[in-house]
Amino acid sequence: MNRLPLIIGAVIAVPMIVFLALALDINHDVIESPLIGKPAPGFVLDSFEGDSIELGELEGTPLVVNFWASYCQPCVYEHPLLTAAARDLTGSVNFVGVVPPEDTAEAVDRFTSRLGAWGPTYYDSDGRVSIAYGVGKLPETYFVDAAGTIQHKHAGPLDPQTLATALEKIL
Amino acid sequence: MLIRLTIGLTTALVLVAVALAAQVEGRSVDPMAALGTPAGPPIEGDDLTEQTLSLGSKMRCPVCQGASIADSPSQQAVSMLGQVRDLFAAGYSETQILEYFERSYGEFIRLQPRARGFNLIVWLAPLAAVLGGGALVAARARSRAAAGTGSSAEDLDAYLEQVRSEVRE
Amino acid sequence: MTPQIGQGLVLLALLLCAVGSPVGFVAGANRSPVGLAWTRRLALGFAAAMVAANVLMVIALLSHDFSVSYVAQVGSLSTPVHITIFSLWSSLEGSILFWGLILGVYVAGVAILQRRGHEDYLAYTLGTALAIGLFFSFLIAGPANPFAATPAPIPTDGPGPNALLQNHLLMAIHPPTLYLGYVGMTIPFSMAVAALLRGQLGPTWLLPLRNWLLVPTGLLSLGIMLGGWWSYEVLGWGGYWAWDPVENASFLPWLTAIAALHSAIVLQRKGTLKAWTVVLVMITFLLTILGTFLTRSGVVNSVHAFTQSPISPLFLGFLGVLLIFVIVLLSLRIDTLVGEPTKDAPLGRETAFLVNNLLLVAVMFTVLIGTTFPIVAELVRGVRVSVGEPYYNRMAVPVFLGLLLLIGMGPALPWGTSDPKKVRRALGRPLIAVPIGLGVALAAGAREIGLLVTVAFASYALWVTAQQGLDPARRRRRRGEALLKAFGESVARAPRRLGAYTVHFGVIMTFVAIAVSSTFQTEREATLGPGDKLEIRGYELTFEKAEGVQESNRFRQTADVALQRGGREIGSLSPSINHYTSNMDPMATPAVRTAITHDLYLTLMNVSTDGSIGLRAIVTPGVLWIWVGVFIMVGGTALCLVPPRRRATPP
Repeated sequence: MNRLPLIIGAVIAVPMIVFLALALDINHDVIESPLIGKPAPGFVLDSFEGDSIELGELEGTPLVVNFWASYCQPCVYEHPLLTAAARDLTGSVNFVGVVPPEDTAEAVDRFTSRLGAWGPTYYDSDGRVSIAYGVGKLPETYFVDAAGTIQHKHAGPLDPQTLATALEKIL
Repeated sequence: MLIRLTIGLTTALVLVAVALAAQVEGRSVDPMAALGTPAGPPIEGDDLTEQTLSLGSKMRCPVCQGASIADSPSQQAVSMLGQVRDLFAAGYSETQILEYFERSYGEFIRLQPRARGFNLIVWLAPLAAVLGGGALVAARARSRAAAGTGSSAEDLDAYLEQVRSEVRE
Repeated sequence: MTPQIGQGLVLLALLLCAVGSPVGFVAGANRSPVGLAWTRRLALGFAAAMVAANVLMVIALLSHDFSVSYVAQVGSLSTPVHITIFSLWSSLEGSILFWGLILGVYVAGVAILQRRGHEDYLAYTLGTALAIGLFFSFLIAGPANPFAATPAPIPTDGPGPNALLQNHLLMAIHPPTLYLGYVGMTIPFSMAVAALLRGQLGPTWLLPLRNWLLVPTGLLSLGIMLGGWWSYEVLGWGGYWAWDPVENASFLPWLTAIAALHSAIVLQRKGTLKAWTVVLVMITFLLTILGTFLTRSGVVNSVHAFTQSPISPLFLGFLGVLLIFVIVLLSLRIDTLVGEPTKDAPLGRETAFLVNNLLLVAVMFTVLIGTTFPIVAELVRGVRVSVGEPYYNRMAVPVFLGLLLLIGMGPALPWGTSDPKKVRRALGRPLIAVPIGLGVALAAGAREIGLLVTVAFASYALWVTAQQGLDPARRRRRRGEALLKAFGESVARAPRRLGAYTVHFGVIMTFVAIAVSSTFQTEREATLGPGDKLEIRGYELTFEKAEGVQESNRFRQTADVALQRGGREIGSLSPSINHYTSNMDPMATPAVRTAITHDLYLTLMNVSTDGSIGLRAIVTPGVLWIWVGVFIMVGGTALCLVPPRRRATPP
C-alpha cells in the first residue's frame, strides 16, 4: 500500500472533478456585464434615413436598446417578442435598435419590410457604440431605467420570461 | 512659467466645463470620458501600426473562439482594432486603452489574465510544478549516482538481457 | 426494421463487453488459458458487433433511411455521397458510434496481433479495454442512441450535416484522425492496468506497449496538424493554432504520450522508471476522456454554449470512476513495480530523458491549468477571464525551446557516464553546426532574438540527429558496403532507431517553420474599388470584381483578385464571405496560394454596396514546412513500428 497516489489523487483529482461538475451548471448567458448598475454609455447615432438620436434625449423614460443585424438568425426568433412588447408598452418604454457597421440600408430594409419594425433602427457606423456597451455575439439587449442606469443585459435571443423579468426591472 | 500656468488653467477650465456640460446633459455619460487625458503624446506611422497590433493580439475578440482582435477577420474585431488604433493615435497608453475596453467587456477582454490576486494561480502553478519537478529530477540523479557506485547491477539483470535481445537491433 | 437491427447490434456489443470484461479479469487472475481464449472470442465478438452497427448506419445514411433518427438528423437527399459517409461522425450520436467502431478495431487488433508474446497480460488488457467498451456501448445503446426510431410521420428528406463539414474536406478527415488517436490510448491504458494487476512488467509487456502507444500517438500528431491546417484554410485569420480549448484538449494527451514513449526507452535500457511510465500512460488516457468532456460539455466554451450535449455529465462521471479506479489501483500495486535503484549517470543520457519528461509534463500542466482556469475563476470569483495566446506564448514557448535544445543534447550524450571529459566532447562537437545555422539565418535577414535562438538550437539538434540517425549506415559504409546497401541495411536492421531520429528531424523542421512563420508575417489591409491595386511583398494584387451568389444553404460573396509578381500574371485568387442561413455569423473563407517558401493568404473582410471591398492580404513564410514537418514525424512514427530484420545466421 503506497499512500502517495492516494494523497496526490485527493489533492488534484477530487477538486478537479468537483469544479468540473459545478461548472456544468454555469449558464454563460447570465454572467453579468460590468456595466450593470452603471449609467448607460451615451451615444449619438444616425438612422439610414438620416434621423439622428442622442441618448440624453431619451432620458426620463425606460429604454430598451437591442443590438441586432439583418443577417442574424436569432434576431429573427426574438423579433415577434420585441414587436409585441414595443406595441404594448408604447409611451412607457422606448425601444431602440442598433445595427453594426457591416449591415446595409438595403438589407435592413429587406428585413423590416419582411418582418415589420418594432422601433427605430440606428446605424453604428464605426462600431463604437457596440464597444461602449460591450456587445459580443448578436443579438444583445440592454435594459436602461428612467434614470439612465443599465439594469439588465441579455445575450442571445430573448425569450418571453427573460423579457418580462428584465422589463420589470426598469419599469 | 506663464505659458505653463496658462495651459494648466485652460485645461482645468475646459475639464470643469465638460464636467458641467455633462451634468446639464443628464446622467448619461460619454463613454470616452472614462479614458481621462492621454498619458503620452500622439503617435503615428509604423509605430502606431505596431503598437495597435501588439495590443490587439492581447485582446480577445468577443465573437470568436479565443482568437485575438488582431487575428480575427470578424467585423466586431475590426471595429475594436480601429478604436484601439485611434486611441493610440490620440496618445492614450496601453493601460488606459485596456481599462477602457475592460469597463464594458470585463476582464474577459484580456487574453492574458492580470497577474494579481486569485489570477496568480494561473501564472505561478506551472512555475511551481517545474521547480518542484526539477528538484525531484535533480535529487533522483544525485541519489542514483551515489547509490550505484558499487558494481553495476545493470549487466547482471536477466530482465534487461531479455529485453535487449528482443528489442535491440 | 433498421432501427431494431441497429439497436440489437449495439445491445449485443454491450452484452459481450459486460461478459467479456469480468471473464478477462478472472482469466488474468487465474492465469487460465481457457479463460483467455474466451476473452479473446468475446473481444472479437464486440469488435464484430461494432463494425456491423457502423456498416448498418452507413447503409442507412446512403439509402436515406429516415426511419433512423440519426439519418433524419444529418441526412439529406441533396448531399453528395462522400459527405453522406462523412456525416457518420458529423454529429454527437454518430461520432460516439464511430468511437465504438474504432475501439472495436483496436480491441480486435490487440486480440489478434498480441496473441503471442503478450500472454501474461493479454487477459487483463482485454478485460480493461472491454470495461471501457462497456461504457461506450452503454452510451450508444442509451443516452446517445443513433438508432432510435424516428417518431411518425417519417420525413422524406432531412436537413443535411453541419455546414462546416461541407465547407472543406479537411473538416471531414481531421476529426476521425483525432478519434483514432484518442481512442487508441485505451489500449496502452489497458496494458498499464494489466501490468499493475500482474504486479510485474517484463519485455512481453514493454514491446507491445510501445507499439500500441506509437500508433495512436502518430495518429494524434496527424490529427492535431490536420486541425491546424483546417483552421488555417477555413477560418480566415491567417493562423493555424489559437490555443483554443478544443485544440488544447487534443494537445494534452499527445504531450504525455510522448513523455511515456521516452520514459519507456529508459525502462528498456535500464529497467528503471517502470512505475512512472505506467503512470504517464494512465494519465494520457485520462486526459483523452477529460478532453472529450471539456470539448463536448461547453464548460470552457467562450460565448454561447451551443455545443452543450446531454451526455457530458456521463463523461464526467466516467472520468471520476476512472480516477478512483486508477488511484486505488496505483496505491495498492505500484510498489510491485518499483525496482532496485540502479546506477545512473547525473550527466548521462538517462538524465536527459528525465528532463525531457519533466518539460513535457510541465507543458501539459501549463496547458491544463490555462484551459481550466477560466472555469475555476468563474466559480470562485464570478468573473469571466480569458487565458489565450499571449499567456501560452509566454509560459509554453520557453519550455518548447528547452525541448528543442534537448533534441540536440539528449542523443548527443552517452549513456551511463558522467565523465566530464567524455560529456564535454560529446556536447562540444555538434557546436560546429550553430555558427553555420546562424550564418544562414542572418544572411536571410533574421534579426529577432527569439528566432535566432530557435535557429541556433535547431542547427545543433539537426547536426546531432543526422549524425546519430545516419551513424549505423556510415559505419557500414566505412566497412566498404555500397552507399545504398549500407543505408538499406541500417534501416532494415534498426528501423526504430532511424524512425526515432526521423521523428526528431520532423520536429526540428516544424519548430523552425513555426518560428519563421510567426516572426516574418506581413499583413496589409485596404479598401479596394474595382481596378484598385494592393502591393505586398512583391505581389501586386488587382481587385477585379465582386459578386454575390445565392446557393442552397448560403449566400456567397466572392471577390476576384488577379495576382502579379515581377510584372508577370501568375493567376488569381477568389476569397469569399459566406452568409449561412443556419444559425451563424458571416464566415470569411480565405483563398491561399502556397509557394515553396511562403503563402499568400487573402481574406475578404466585407463587400460594400458601392462595389468596393475590404481585403486583408497576409504573406507568411514557411507555413508549408509545418505540415511537411508533421508528415515526416508521422512517417518516422510508422517506421518505428516496422519489426527489425533479424540477422540471417542463427545464434
